[in-house]
Amino acid sequence: MNDRNYGKINRTLCIRNMKRSMKDYLVYMLTMALVTALMYAFGSLIFQNELEQIALELEGLMGMMVGLATFFIMLIVAWLINYMVKFMLEKRSTEFGIYLLLGMKRKAIAVLYMRENMLLGGAAFVVGAAAGVLLRQVLMAVMSAMVRMEYQLRIAPDGRTLLMTACCYGGCYLLALLRCRRKFKKMNIHALMNARRCNEEIREKFEQGKQILLPLSVFFILLFWKMFGRLSDTLQTAGFLIGLVITIYLFYAGLSAWVICYVRRRGAAVYKGQNLFLLRQFASKVRTMQFTMGTLTALFTLALLGASFALMFSDYENTVLEGKFPFDVQIYSQNIEEDFAREKSVIEEEAAVSAYYPYHIYTDEENQVNTWMLTHLQAWGAMYRKADGTPDEAAIERTLLDENGDGTYYTYDTYMGLTDYNHLRELLGYEQAELSETEYLVQIKPRLEKEVQGIGEDLSVRNAAGDGFLTCAGVRAEPFSQDGHNGADYVVVVPDAVLDRMRPYYTELVVDIDGKTPFGLQKKLEALQPEEDPYAAGHVKGDLCCGSDTIISIVELCLVRENLMPSVKYMLATMIIPLFYIGLVFVCVAVTVLSVQQVSDGARYQYRYDMLSKLGLSRRAIERLILKQLTAYYLCPALLAVVISGRLILFASDRFIMMTGVPTAVGGFFGKSVALFFGIYLVYFVVTYVEFKRTMSSVVQN
Amino acid sequence: MSGYIRICEVEKYYGNANNVTKAIDRVSFEVDRGEFVGVMGPSGSGKTTLLNLLATIDRVTAGHIYYGDTDITELSEDALSEFRKDNLGFVFQDYNLLDTLTIEENIVLALTLQAKSREEIVEACEQILSLLQIGDIRDKFPYQVSGGQKQRCACGRAMVNHPRLLLADEPTGALDSRSAQTLLETFTDLNRQMEATILMVTHDAFSASYCGRILFLQDGKIFHELVRGTKSRRVFLQEILDVLSLTGGALSDER
Repeated sequence: MNDRNYGKINRTLCIRNMKRSMKDYLVYMLTMALVTALMYAFGSLIFQNELEQIALELEGLMGMMVGLATFFIMLIVAWLINYMVKFMLEKRSTEFGIYLLLGMKRKAIAVLYMRENMLLGGAAFVVGAAAGVLLRQVLMAVMSAMVRMEYQLRIAPDGRTLLMTACCYGGCYLLALLRCRRKFKKMNIHALMNARRCNEEIREKFEQGKQILLPLSVFFILLFWKMFGRLSDTLQTAGFLIGLVITIYLFYAGLSAWVICYVRRRGAAVYKGQNLFLLRQFASKVRTMQFTMGTLTALFTLALLGASFALMFSDYENTVLEGKFPFDVQIYSQNIEEDFAREKSVIEEEAAVSAYYPYHIYTDEENQVNTWMLTHLQAWGAMYRKADGTPDEAAIERTLLDENGDGTYYTYDTYMGLTDYNHLRELLGYEQAELSETEYLVQIKPRLEKEVQGIGEDLSVRNAAGDGFLTCAGVRAEPFSQDGHNGADYVVVVPDAVLDRMRPYYTELVVDIDGKTPFGLQKKLEALQPEEDPYAAGHVKGDLCCGSDTIISIVELCLVRENLMPSVKYMLATMIIPLFYIGLVFVCVAVTVLSVQQVSDGARYQYRYDMLSKLGLSRRAIERLILKQLTAYYLCPALLAVVISGRLILFASDRFIMMTGVPTAVGGFFGKSVALFFGIYLVYFVVTYVEFKRTMSSVVQN
Repeated sequence: MSGYIRICEVEKYYGNANNVTKAIDRVSFEVDRGEFVGVMGPSGSGKTTLLNLLATIDRVTAGHIYYGDTDITELSEDALSEFRKDNLGFVFQDYNLLDTLTIEENIVLALTLQAKSREEIVEACEQILSLLQIGDIRDKFPYQVSGGQKQRCACGRAMVNHPRLLLADEPTGALDSRSAQTLLETFTDLNRQMEATILMVTHDAFSASYCGRILFLQDGKIFHELVRGTKSRRVFLQEILDVLSLTGGALSDER
């Protein structure tokens, strides 16, 4: 026996096959390299995250979120690899038949195929990992800019990240290849040899009946558009979402049956141009790939959702967040006699102070403003209203007066004197407010401005003597630190004389710092707070209340802007980055499947275009035909995904805008994510079209 | 047991209980060592099915196929792989060369599967390349050579291991007449010089006239047999055409 020669030719075969596959499945290779690069770049945040120091309390959060995203990505990548390994196996069936004919054993063929795929995967991994090291620098630079930190370029691969990426990637490959071994065991030489000669199998059964699935799916999607958002409980929502998944899959069976029946009915469009060819082509492709098309639609939907949510948080960060901490330092104390001596000494040790401004927030021990807010703001819906629209006193009492209220509003309404108010406005660079002795104004969070325009008509704020009422001089909505410090959502500003009949409610200190605020001041100030965590056992009456912010609420007794801003931005990044990561990978994976399918079909069914050419169709007409065919095939899952995700994203955007006050139109996030999505889509589409045309050029005459 | 290759009462059915197609219906014949046998018949007569059964590509429904004392209908899949490697060579209409290997490497692959030494491989390869006159294109890839050259390479790959039986399925089907003639002369040379036993399925009377014996198949059964003996190829071709016109004539009379 002499195995050396066999080994040598086997190696040659293996490497040449791999090179051919690389050429034939270039889009797949590029996607795998891209996925590796993304996996490395994002995965590195788990192991070497220099930014964690800015938010030590969030230590491990980014790792956890990226890890979670990586898990879902791995599932999809495993699906892609499995799909491609199976796909290539089918495309090369005749070749495997020849190996069997030459006397190669199934096991030897399986080993050869596995080796080829390992080399293929290895090549994509090496390219991807190298690109990943560079991509990581870009990612870290972007993140550093986001959290206002300087980033030093460090182009050196990290062993642990590399190992994790290799394990994820290799694991997916091994799983797919092991599944393939089973296929090799069942290989039938006769079927393999004949596979190439077989036409695409088009089983047309019960098409008339199946047609109904299309209008049914469309009806369900319309129903989903109408009903989603009005569903009252989780069970209903879950039911609708399950129905949606089923609809996605049945839609394609219905669509294909409908097109087939249309052609059979000899519809008018059948006789126009090359429509007959296009319709049949489209119907048979959708039929044979209906399950895959369904999965691609689901992936596109998830990608659009991911990108939209990422854009929402990103928008919040760029617009609303800047106004959340308008003062350099602001400290809250429940104690109305607090002099903040300890805090001042800590601040003075750390920074140059240009001014201190201590003041009180007052209360009249009533809750008419709180009640108004609870019964009028969109955020609360009908939670605090009875069926007839009148306030639900019991529910309001529960939330405001209970010992363990929910921390939304203070037990009593919050007031501020005009002098304090104007002093703070001066610090912030706002124009001074003017009030006569018979007027008051309401300072509100910017996002609530439109909702509270009618508040003055309903409030009855007594004057200094208590024998009359003040009139509302308007609503101000500049950023004013109203997550509990200058009131929760609102503060009513009254002439100083009115405060005489009120009692101080809590104390605030605003500090204006000269120059740069040192890193870590927030931590030092927090360390001065009592040891016990007031939030551990739920909200306690009298604690800081944050108002109606529900999606993102920042509740801190001490606010040090320059320390908190990066920390909150980092926290937002832990959501934005994994969501973008998921969206990007899902789109690339799904579009790769579409692309590989088309390019490979182009090569397999060259004769169809050859035949059209022989029938007299010009090269230009065939190219137009290919363009139409690819467009229909590419748009089909994308449009369905856009329609489905559209409803979910518009609903979520509406809520997000309402809850956070980002100044974006409801359709803005959806529009941006669709644009982003179609940008990537277009790149793959162009590559596929060029590749398809290149394949055709050998058979189609001018 | 006598006979180099014996086909005994072989049947092959396709389809299910409701719709059975008898592709091969109780066919029996023998092939002697060094014979060049042709199988002819109209489309759907079962020629390729018969070849596939002999080639172990397909399995019989009933009956036995003996290569010497080995009944291949009883062999397991792995044993069949071994058997194919040691005993069979194939030439198909569409060549079935591996497009990632050069002409020479396609032939070498068949030899390396036999785990032969380097010297043996080089010698056998040189011999067959020169016999088939394809030495000058040895380093070319299949897509770089003509159909005739591809088919001669397929012949070389099939014959380089000196198989017990060379199976050819319409080997001239995709070739022009000149290349077809060259290929058939190659078969004759292989048959005479290397004592190769060849079974060739063909539609074409001209190609069949190169054979020593011809089996005529119709509806899965052997309905006639012609032996060339010492007759010239021209005379034998006429006899083949007579048989073909007989079957064609019978059909015409019915109309």
